[in-house]
Amino acid sequence: MAANYWASTQRRHWLFTREKLADIRDGLRERDKVTHSQFPLPDQRLLNIYFNQQLIKLGKRMSTRQQAIATAQVYLKRFYTKNEIRQTNPYLVLTTAFYLACKMEECPQHIRFVVGEARGLWPEFITHDVAKLGECEFALISEMSSQLIVHHPYRTLTELQTDLSLSSDEVALGWSVINDHYLTDLPLLHPPHVIGIMAIIIAVVFKPAHPGNFGNSAQSALAATMRDGGMNNLAYALSDKTGPGAPRIHKLVQWLAESDVDIKAVVECTQELLSLYEVWEQYSEKHCKELIGRMVKSKNLDK
Amino acid sequence: MFTPLSTEALDASRRPGAYVSKVRVRDRYHIVGFISSGTYGRVYKAIGKNGQKGEFAIKKFKPDKEGETIQYTGLSQSAIREMSLCTELSHANVVQLEEIILEDKCIFMVFEYTEHDLLQIIHHHTQPQRHAISAPMVRSILFQLLNGLLYLHTNWVLHRDLKPANILVTSSGAIRIGDLGLARLFYKPLNSLFSGDKVVVTIWYRAPELLLGSRHYTPAVDMWAVGCIFAELLSLRPIFKGEEAKMDSKKTVPFQRNQMMKIIEILGLPRKETWPGLAAMPEYPQLQSLVLHRQPAHFHRGPNLEGWYQSCLKNGAYSASSSVGTPGADGFDLLSRMLEYDPVKRITAEQALEHPYFANGGPISGNCFAGIESKYPHRRVTQDDNDIRTGSLPGTKRSGLPDDSMMRAAKRVKE
Repeated sequence: MAANYWASTQRRHWLFTREKLADIRDGLRERDKVTHSQFPLPDQRLLNIYFNQQLIKLGKRMSTRQQAIATAQVYLKRFYTKNEIRQTNPYLVLTTAFYLACKMEECPQHIRFVVGEARGLWPEFITHDVAKLGECEFALISEMSSQLIVHHPYRTLTELQTDLSLSSDEVALGWSVINDHYLTDLPLLHPPHVIGIMAIIIAVVFKPAHPGNFGNSAQSALAATMRDGGMNNLAYALSDKTGPGAPRIHKLVQWLAESDVDIKAVVECTQELLSLYEVWEQYSEKHCKELIGRMVKSKNLDK
Repeated sequence: MFTPLSTEALDASRRPGAYVSKVRVRDRYHIVGFISSGTYGRVYKAIGKNGQKGEFAIKKFKPDKEGETIQYTGLSQSAIREMSLCTELSHANVVQLEEIILEDKCIFMVFEYTEHDLLQIIHHHTQPQRHAISAPMVRSILFQLLNGLLYLHTNWVLHRDLKPANILVTSSGAIRIGDLGLARLFYKPLNSLFSGDKVVVTIWYRAPELLLGSRHYTPAVDMWAVGCIFAELLSLRPIFKGEEAKMDSKKTVPFQRNQMMKIIEILGLPRKETWPGLAAMPEYPQLQSLVLHRQPAHFHRGPNLEGWYQSCLKNGAYSASSSVGTPGADGFDLLSRMLEYDPVKRITAEQALEHPYFANGGPISGNCFAGIESKYPHRRVTQDDNDIRTGSLPGTKRSGLPDDSMMRAAKRVKE
């Protein structure tokens, strides 16, 4: 539920172990080996970056809130644990996820408007027919068993802002880190409060050199710092409860020690984020676009 | 009987990748009859088949039609809300969802079947002549209702449409809050709770802050409705039975003058001294003009909810020595705290459950029918429509976006 993550369908049905998630994906691949070898796709995280950029483009002209984009990204992840991406038109699925997330996050957009905007962006992949999106909405809801309420880590960040006396720069950086975690499998692997705390730690430990301008993603601000021995700083800060270090970090570490938060999980999340920033350097929008386009066109998935 | 192929099956044969439901309603349920209809669609009674045991109420949302063919046009926001909330919620006093089936361009929400509801129970007590609902039964109903509401509120869910017809009662006397079609989460919503749905809650149960145009409403709106339901259980009539002012051609929401008057007649005028936020209400000037233009005697008589309560007890023959018992002075105190003008001061569900009305006077049964001899009539189930298929429905064209709360509110006037 909204207040109660512990009883939520998100915790009961949409939280996986790493092994389980790998099994599910292997299963999808096994079912359709031929298509898999015929249509290679980039690393899942690179695809996620591409999808996220498309969602942001779609949301831009409709003044959509970040949380609706985040919910749409979670819907995509859930949907693709049940369906092989190569059997779908990803442009239709992401437009539908966006349309549904906007309704769920109480910033609804008219279906005709959404289809119109999507056609403006990807005319070769989205038809005029709004019924296509309506039908895809049925598939999306059905595959998610109508479990549409998503708990986001943004709330942990804002709730702890005062307790941990976070500066506005730290909150902004933490917010961008949360935006970035949707590009990984983390939303399917860890509860939102663990992600939220990871974002706070990163924001406090890796104080960015040029505060105030992180944009949507924290990648540019953090990638280099985290790579250049930043992880050691983090491990050091977290393991040493009494030693020196900045008083801000000291206070945070103490707070963590007193809370019930799973520190191991937080560290794991941090590593996942670091590896996202590494893989990000290989990202090419053009490459993703070509591979997806070829797959959709040759399989007639847009028909 | 010849059953034509569903449109879905035809579609699917034409086009690979088309949506086909993995579960089919008619494979799992046998439709026994028709229960009710609303702007959202229709409700059917069903029994499980193929190993599925028990009785069910299946709510079928109306599909959209373009000409003769039913089309996917995007689900309404209220359907999405009800589906997502019911999927998360689980409490003994909130209606239990069994499953949701998306098939043939329609949504079927399958709920447990409830034999009664408060509207029907209140009605039964006016037939053939008025006879009061016993005080212990009212107490049990109210306690269970508040218990369910506390669960909703602690989970940041506002019901927003509490009224006797939506309070379901099982044959074993358990209360279930039903129809979450207007329910919404209120934890830091992206849009204010005002935008999107301009009209909320059946007018008779609508809280004064909503009548005065409040944009920042809270769980207190549900508590006002509970107060109205409490009063109605005791008097067997809606306490504030106003006439709804219709929306004008510009679709602006009118000030509900008549409804406000009905409240003032019993509670007296709201005052800035006791309700500090009053003067900031958007419709406050309307309230003032109401005072200026009409000044009947009751405006100056002062609050007389107590008078209303005493005559209600008298009419219902409620007394400590009678067979129906009495809700007593504690009952009045609780009612007056629920019908508090200022939403900030209005009693919460949590506080209400600890009120002397429940704390005193012995145990409360989880079966509201406990100790009651007479039987209540079963829910009316008609046979004129037990065809749940899409084709049998008169469809209306609606756009996917607007919340249908306005249509629902308008329809209620006729009820």
